[in-house]
Amino acid sequence: MQKRLSELEFSESGTVRDIFASRHELNCLGVRVRKHLTMITRQPIKGPVVVAVDDMEVAMGLETARCVIVEVDRP
Amino acid sequence: MAAHNHRYTILMMGNPNVGKSALFNRLTGANAVVSNYPGTTVDVTRGFLRKERLEYEIIDVPGAYSLEARDAAEEVAVRILGGHPDAVVMVVLDATRVERGLYLALEVMEHGNPLFVALNMIDAAREREVSVDVATLQEILGVPVVPTSAVRGEGMLDLVEAVHRAQPPDIAAIEARAFGEVKCPAGERPLSIAGTAGGVPE
Repeated sequence: MQKRLSELEFSESGTVRDIFASRHELNCLGVRVRKHLTMITRQPIKGPVVVAVDDMEVAMGLETARCVIVEVDRP
Repeated sequence: MAAHNHRYTILMMGNPNVGKSALFNRLTGANAVVSNYPGTTVDVTRGFLRKERLEYEIIDVPGAYSLEARDAAEEVAVRILGGHPDAVVMVVLDATRVERGLYLALEVMEHGNPLFVALNMIDAAREREVSVDVATLQEILGVPVVPTSAVRGEGMLDLVEAVHRAQPPDIAAIEARAFGEVKCPAGERPLSIAGTAGGVPE
């Protein structure tokens, strides 16, 4: 099942399938296609969204998180 | 004071929070502010190291994730790199997260300065049982890779020696080697810069 990154629930994990925002902005922070990540927190209203990638926390705006498509891990 | 025959300029570049300032302090005996959170260095710190009759000017460049600057610290990093076309660049990687630092490393390599890599925090990598194949990484990048621990003072003399072996990287050759054209000992799989853990830099 695919979701927008902004829709992942707390502690839900998945693999990045596509990025429709600035790839460079996310790539240099370690968020890339085929990367595995876990939702840490999604703040209300306008974010930020914080995910764990390679044991590092990466924060991004809600709009950016909406542009990242994630294949959700099966429970 | 003794005259020095030659001065090298070394730019220390890397992601935030990989231990650049701690390395800088080790190499120069300076007292730059070091912390365990990123973004401590937002200005330029310079120091000097003298060994035998050689003098090394070391510049601690603010941490950056990319050379497409998005904040003041990255703007400073880009400006310093552009202003020192003849400097030797020491790219500092966190040995516990090598792949993460390679994005910036490759951007820096595209600038063409002579370059070598400090694989810092190697002690933390050992403690976390993270094994880095230094020889293969060195072979793929085509530049010296020196494991270091600024906290323990490990690898400092090797770093100074690596300045003299620094090479202008050949990006096309790196790409070819990263995608399988690197010789490895029998039975070992080539290390992929694109990341065996997934993730394709674009």
